[in-house]
Amino acid sequence: MPFKFTEDFKARAEKICAKYPRRDAALIPLLHEMQKEAGYVAEEGMDALALLLGLPYSRVKAVVTFYTMFNREPVGKYHLQVCRNISCHMAGAEGLLTRLRSRLGIAEGETTKDGLFTLSAVECLGACGSAPVMQVNEKYFENLNDEKLDALLEDMKHGRVQR
Amino acid sequence: MPTLTIDGKPVEVEKGTSILEAAQKLGVYIPRYCYHPKLSVSGNCRMCLVEVEKAPKLLTACSTEAAEGMVVRTVSDKVKAARRDVLEYLLINHPLDCPICDQAGECGLQNYYMDYSLAKSRFKNEDKVRRQKRRALGPHLVLDNERCILCTRCVRFCAEVTKTAELEVMGRGDHSHIDMKEGKALDNGYSLNIADICPVGAWTSRDFRFKQRVWFLKKTPTICLGCATGCLIEAHHNENTIYRTVPLPNPETNTWLCDHGRLAYKAVQGGDRLVKGVIKNGLIDFEPALREVAARIDEARGAGAVAVLGSPWLSIEDNAALARLAKDALKTENYCFDFASEQGIKDGILINKDPSPNANGLRLVKDAHGGISQAELSSRIAAGQIKVVLAEARAAGLIKDALKAAGTRLIVFAANKGEIPAATYATLPYASYFETPGTFVNYQGLRRRTTPPAEAPEGVKPLWAVVNKLAAYSGSSLRLDSAEDALKGIDLK
Amino acid sequence: MENILLKDNVAEIEAYFAAGGYKPLKKALGLKPAEVIEEVKKSNLRGRGGAGFPCGLKWSFIPKDAEGPRYLVCNADEGEPGTFKDRELILKNPHALIEGMAIAGYAIGAGHGYIYIRGEFAEETELLQRSISAARAKGFLGKNILGSGFNFEIFTHRGAGAYICGEETALLESLEGFKGQPRLKPPFPAIKGLFGSPTVINNVETLAAVPAIIANGGDWYAAIGNGKSAGTKLFCVSGPVNKPGVFELPLGVSFRELLEKSCGGLKPGKILKAVIPGGSSTPVLTADEAMAVKLDYESLAAAGSMLGSGAVIVIDESQCMVKLLQVLAHFYHHESCGQCTPCREGCGWIERIMNRFEEGRADRKDIDTLYSVADGMLGRTICPLADAMAMPVMSFIKKFRAEFEAHADGKTCAKK
Repeated sequence: MPFKFTEDFKARAEKICAKYPRRDAALIPLLHEMQKEAGYVAEEGMDALALLLGLPYSRVKAVVTFYTMFNREPVGKYHLQVCRNISCHMAGAEGLLTRLRSRLGIAEGETTKDGLFTLSAVECLGACGSAPVMQVNEKYFENLNDEKLDALLEDMKHGRVQR
Repeated sequence: MPTLTIDGKPVEVEKGTSILEAAQKLGVYIPRYCYHPKLSVSGNCRMCLVEVEKAPKLLTACSTEAAEGMVVRTVSDKVKAARRDVLEYLLINHPLDCPICDQAGECGLQNYYMDYSLAKSRFKNEDKVRRQKRRALGPHLVLDNERCILCTRCVRFCAEVTKTAELEVMGRGDHSHIDMKEGKALDNGYSLNIADICPVGAWTSRDFRFKQRVWFLKKTPTICLGCATGCLIEAHHNENTIYRTVPLPNPETNTWLCDHGRLAYKAVQGGDRLVKGVIKNGLIDFEPALREVAARIDEARGAGAVAVLGSPWLSIEDNAALARLAKDALKTENYCFDFASEQGIKDGILINKDPSPNANGLRLVKDAHGGISQAELSSRIAAGQIKVVLAEARAAGLIKDALKAAGTRLIVFAANKGEIPAATYATLPYASYFETPGTFVNYQGLRRRTTPPAEAPEGVKPLWAVVNKLAAYSGSSLRLDSAEDALKGIDLK
Repeated sequence: MENILLKDNVAEIEAYFAAGGYKPLKKALGLKPAEVIEEVKKSNLRGRGGAGFPCGLKWSFIPKDAEGPRYLVCNADEGEPGTFKDRELILKNPHALIEGMAIAGYAIGAGHGYIYIRGEFAEETELLQRSISAARAKGFLGKNILGSGFNFEIFTHRGAGAYICGEETALLESLEGFKGQPRLKPPFPAIKGLFGSPTVINNVETLAAVPAIIANGGDWYAAIGNGKSAGTKLFCVSGPVNKPGVFELPLGVSFRELLEKSCGGLKPGKILKAVIPGGSSTPVLTADEAMAVKLDYESLAAAGSMLGSGAVIVIDESQCMVKLLQVLAHFYHHESCGQCTPCREGCGWIERIMNRFEEGRADRKDIDTLYSVADGMLGRTICPLADAMAMPVMSFIKKFRAEFEAHADGKTCAKK
């Protein structure tokens, strides 16, 4: 399916480009914008973005595959990203991950069949003082434990957590 | 002009010279993978680390500018240890499939491994990172990402030389790999240079793949005749077969080689190589074909209806022989060595506007032997004054419509069946310039001579020798016993 | 003493202004740029991102006669495991950063400043954008700031998940829309930085300290702290302490004081085993070493480690050092940009050896292999990420070798 940017997106893109003396500097911000709309960065989207910024496709693809925040496939409504680094590890991150795996029936990198949850183990989120930490989409949930995690899952299942 | 000391030897270099280049000036070779003299410096392989006095760490020779009073050591224990470590890191994820790798014998990993005598690997084999093997990318190349050491020469080549930027390193860390747009072909007209500059066996040529072990190959420097640029090349051959040609970098014409020129050798080796005569599409032996051609010339000659056409695809020697045939044996005015050509690099890299290699050499023949203009020849053909035209096949192709319209009989010299124009009456084979020496003058006026890496197929002679025989059939002797004889009377200056 | 950076109730511009905010900017604009740089030099303010390079000196490297644009970049790509001070600082006192940037921009002659903030900090980015707009509305940013003729704009720019972008030249690459791969140096950013122009890159905490220095004078700031380690530092404490968090203390404070006074000591029943004093890449200290050390650039260097980003990771006796090193190895392997051979291949190799230890497949020879693989990476790459992997490996083995041997011999972990 051919990919087309909406007029609204194009207008926003021009505004973002104007922040920089060179258009291509807007590549990463625009990939964020694309992901915000679709939940991931589609292959056809990379072609279109390359065209919009006057870049070779290879540059866009290289950037998308270098940075870990860009999803190259659709993710669930809630993308659960559990920090597994040292401070969170000491505070029980492994236990949280195990709990999530069993509660959701998926492994890291997978999405539940209902499309509600994607589970990822991620590296340091920069909130080590309130470990263990999990980022859900763009929001941080800190000082987690089993009870808090279970309650949060319930809230998400019932749509009580904003996307 | 800073002066520095490398391994105890002083050397003065221009400002801006790297340590690596300064060392090269002294004949000191510093091992490298990512450095390439014609590409930007990326400094990522870390193989060229050297010790510089007062520097706290080892420095990369490729990216460090030589400075006044610098004291550099390229073979200290510290340096050797660093190189050994880099090699070990490079090899942990390498597939070590040398027995089936075309690069074996000219591989940067193998060579330096021998130089730095690495001990048995401490790496546990089962842990290797696996990457994609054997993937054809475009018409000319195969990529094996498992062998890749991520030096990025190929990426920089496509970004900086062809400016097509197809390739990139995707991913990151030890999952980095070279890739391009799925479904697109890597076909930028210069793609085979990538196989040349790849220091390992990650990029191999589909044409060369599995044909020959490199240590069997003999190397002969010669010229590419793919266009008027006249690049220097090296033919790699064994037992009278050419397996590949590669660029012979030189400041006058070329660092690289285009794919078209590089594969031009195939025209004289494949199934389409012409080794016999052709009369009206029927193959016959050379001698009867020659007799037939001589008879047809003889028929028309009385009425002054034979014309001889020179060719910018032929050497000066062969063109001169043709001129002599017309002038001294057939004693006709109907010969033309007049070819208009627009010359100059057309793609900003190597490919010339003029697809023929010797328009400037042809002019020298015209200066020595004269002849009529192409317009004059055309009008004589159109007027029905010419019954037989003798020409090289590709040059004849340029006037084939005029000939057809006038019903003129065309007799051509060809090395490959694909060159023969339709409705050609007779064709004679001749030795190509991979098989016989020939002198060419490129678009810059550089005169260069081919060195044949191979011998012509049995019974196939140089064009000047065929002309010599045709002259004999017509009752004259041109006394051409060698290519040099044909050059007599030509002012090569 | 009173906090300079971490203040409560100053997040909104009105409150910040009421507390004396943006007066330093007005003062700075009344000075010559060289005088501003001189004041910062006098303060002995050093880079708070990890390297500790003198800030005023860095500013003075911008060529005076350079034509064309100059840039100021704020490094808010906080990613060093254990570090969470910049986030806290941005949330609590965003205008200190914005004002610090305006002053720095004036000092170096920049017309544009970019805040490169890690991609995960979406809320913090929004807060910064709101704060920038508020400052602009009040005339502290934009054209002809406070009637001085100085023009300065600040833009935020989110990263996208790459630890390496905390390295300043990788950050510049990323800001220009490339993969975050560090550049060869020289040329240094002060000569050829963002978009090829002279550029200064400073950490959030460094820039946020600038308004107070201008307000109170360089001498005032230099008198705080411990000699060459001047001023206050944000220490981020994580691990099993009663009160983890960010604490602003004068440099030279003892670890003991930080642990016992600021953090309320270890959680009940926990026994101190080790401390990583400056973020995960700095060499680990044993409990005894930690309890004796002062937290400043020189004291930590003398103790064989580094102040780094001020991220103090407290480790107690219940933790297995082999497991922790595996966690770190996984991280550095995941984050190596892949450019330089030793780091790209070495980090992965180290993680795989660590996996062997954890899975009971290692033997004692692997300890030496591990050490020498790390040693072979040290100081041989374009940027310090390889060192950041090698230093914990080598220090963990040096100081806790017995735990590695126990894993190799027993093929299992006693802590499990």
